[in-house]
Amino acid sequence: MRRGVILLSAVAVSAVAAIAASAQLQDDDVSTQDVTFRGQPVTSEQIALGQEVYAQNCASCHGTSLEGQPNWKRRLENGRMPAPPHDESGHTWHHSDQDLFDMTKLGVGGVVEGYESDMPAFGKILSDEEIAAVLAFIKSTWPERQRDVQARITAKDGDGS
Amino acid sequence: MNDINMATMTSNSTRISRRVFLGTMMAGAGLIGLPISLRAAPAAAGPAIAFDGDALIRARDTLSRSDGAGGWIELSAPEAGGIISLATHSARPARIVAGLTGGGVALSEDGGHRWEARSQGLPGAPVTAVTVAAAEPDTIYAAIHGDGLWKSEDAGRSWALAMDRPWLADAERDLTALASVELATGMGGIWIYAGTELGLTRVPDCFCRWQDVQPGDAMDALASGKPAPSEAPLPQGETINGLVSAASLPTRLYAALPSGIWESQDAGVVWSQKSNTRALAVAVHPTNADHVVAITGDGVVESRDGGANWTALARA
Repeated sequence: MRRGVILLSAVAVSAVAAIAASAQLQDDDVSTQDVTFRGQPVTSEQIALGQEVYAQNCASCHGTSLEGQPNWKRRLENGRMPAPPHDESGHTWHHSDQDLFDMTKLGVGGVVEGYESDMPAFGKILSDEEIAAVLAFIKSTWPERQRDVQARITAKDGDGS
Repeated sequence: MNDINMATMTSNSTRISRRVFLGTMMAGAGLIGLPISLRAAPAAAGPAIAFDGDALIRARDTLSRSDGAGGWIELSAPEAGGIISLATHSARPARIVAGLTGGGVALSEDGGHRWEARSQGLPGAPVTAVTVAAAEPDTIYAAIHGDGLWKSEDAGRSWALAMDRPWLADAERDLTALASVELATGMGGIWIYAGTELGLTRVPDCFCRWQDVQPGDAMDALASGKPAPSEAPLPQGETINGLVSAASLPTRLYAALPSGIWESQDAGVVWSQKSNTRALAVAVHPTNADHVVAITGDGVVESRDGGANWTALARA
């Protein structure tokens, strides 16, 4: 039921999200040469795909501009945490490429045993290529400092970047 | 949580409306934002204890300091309220951070003789625990009763919410103890360990999520099919009154519990009981991980061998 609601709302906002995300990417003007994912350079086609996938599957919770849900540091009444930002104000860039991939594919509970989250596992919704693309898109929006820090975390995690 | 805190606060298991605190925050911030008088204050509540180099700062009924065999001298406590919690950092000698029963943080730069408020922006609720970031001595964390974990990166001059309280057994739980543990999380930072009324938890200093203490870094929780390493957690359901990580050996932790003093040599995976006297607060020497002192039901005790043997504190 929860996943159905999420998907339905994702479709509803996808058009708006796509426009907003597109505008943000154009504003940021990040060269694809600056972005890698799991050690491989990211192409502009991957980022475009990721932007589309983000708008359709992620933006309804994480925000059309990756800003997260309002008051995201405060717990919901059900004890779970709101969807955090994926921009530099959040903590996404503190995780390695592989961890981000696993959390997206398996859900946070699939990575941290017993952790309850409103975020579904996307492994049966998105292909591995789509998950990689959406993460590449998110990475492409980060400022240089956040990209550098996340690259070091990824390198320590064994992926290289 | 210490005895006095238990008497003056509502049950930790009771969810206190955040809006109530927000409502009182403005008034509280206005009051505690004022400069604190440097004269003697009513009392230091405690119990709390911390090393300042070789010296000890103790808050229990009164605030006092011991620089060696000369015994204890009484200090002027912050006027803003009694002290619940204390923290120091070896890279900032003579700086004492105090969490106050009446809300807010007070800071001394002269070993506890004079205090000033460092509470701007903090909710006006008791600061049940404080710790200084092991790798960043001007970064202070404060646990606010009924609210969450707050962070200051400028020695308390400004504060921002870092993380809501942990969710344990179907409720948010207040933090009763804090310790910055200089061990890599695998996420570009280090850990903050915390005590609650139900036991131990921890959060990476990127604040992605509260989580149980497990072997390896956070993402190794995935386990990947390897046999689970042995674990010996702290007793379940016991309030952690005090918690410290040795600066000279961050994997060495000490915890003060109603059941006694406990020690871990592997950052909290395996714990062993080192005393069975009710422990209220604990501190570890900044350069000697085997030198630990604690406030217990029997008074202030000291061990020079990692908790194997305890004696009444010689300087007392």
